[in-house]
Amino acid sequence: MKPGEIGIRRFLQVSSALVIAGLLLEIVSLVWFHPLSFVLFAFVAVSLIALGILVYLVSLIFVVRPVTNHGNSRY
Amino acid sequence: MEAAARGLVIGILICQIALSIVLAAVFLIRPSLTSAAGWKIVAFIALCVLPALCIVGGMNTHVQRSEQTQFCISCHVMTPYGQSLYVDDPSHIPAQHFQNHRVPPDMACYSCHGDYSIYGPLKDKVQGLKRIYIQYVSTPPNPITIPGGFKNAQCLHCHLGARGFEENQVHAAMIDSLKSNQTSCLTSGCHDTAHDVANLDHQKFWKAAQ
Repeated sequence: MKPGEIGIRRFLQVSSALVIAGLLLEIVSLVWFHPLSFVLFAFVAVSLIALGILVYLVSLIFVVRPVTNHGNSRY
Repeated sequence: MEAAARGLVIGILICQIALSIVLAAVFLIRPSLTSAAGWKIVAFIALCVLPALCIVGGMNTHVQRSEQTQFCISCHVMTPYGQSLYVDDPSHIPAQHFQNHRVPPDMACYSCHGDYSIYGPLKDKVQGLKRIYIQYVSTPPNPITIPGGFKNAQCLHCHLGARGFEENQVHAAMIDSLKSNQTSCLTSGCHDTAHDVANLDHQKFWKAAQ
C-alpha cells in the first residue's frame, strides 16, 4: 500500500464520518418540531456536511499520485 | 391533505438521507473500495452529490416549516399570540382573518408578518434567528414589538385591488397615505385591535368544529 493511498483512505474516512454525523443531525432536526431545530440544521448539520464534502474534495485535489511517464495520474 | 403532503416530502427526504448515510458508511468502513474506478464514482455520489442534495432538501423543508402557524407558536413566549387567533370578537383583526380563512390558517402568522419584498424571506429568517437568540440567550421584551412597527404593505399585499377595500370610501380617500405608510392601518384608530394578549383572560374563545 502506497503512502498516497493511505492518505486518501484517511481523508475518505474523515469525510464519511463528518457527512454521516451531519446527516444524522439533519434527521433529528427534521423530526424535532421546534424553532431550535432550524438552528441545529442550519448551523451544526449543514456545517458538518459541508466540511465532509470539503474534505472529500480536498482529498481529490491534493492526494494525487504524480503524473507517470504514460501521462496518467491517479490517486 | 396539505399536512399529509408535507409529511410525505419529509418522509422522502429522510429516505434520501438514510441512503446517503448507508453509502457514506460503506466508505467509512471500507475506504479501500475506491481503488476501483466504479467505486470512485459511487464515492463521489455518496460523499458529494447526495449530501449536497440533502442540504438543499433540508433547507427547503425547514424554510417551509418555519412559515407554519404551529411553528411560530411553538415558542413559549408566542403561545398567547396563538390563543388570540381564537378570540370570539370580530373587531380583533388577527382572529377575524384566521377564523374566516382570510389568510391560510396553517400559515396565518407568516401571511401577515412575512416580508413580501424581494429579499423578504431572507430578512424574515434573519429576524427569526435574532428572536431565537433573544428567547434563549437574552430576555424577550414584554410586550413583544415588531422592529420598525407593522407596515401597511403587509395589509395592502392582499387588500389592495380587492373590491371590498377599494369601494370603501374611507380607504379610497386616504389610499395614498396608506400606501406611503403615513397613516397606519393599525395604529391610526381604524383597525387598532390586533393581538390583545394583555386582556386574553377576559375574552370568549371560538372553538373550531372538527
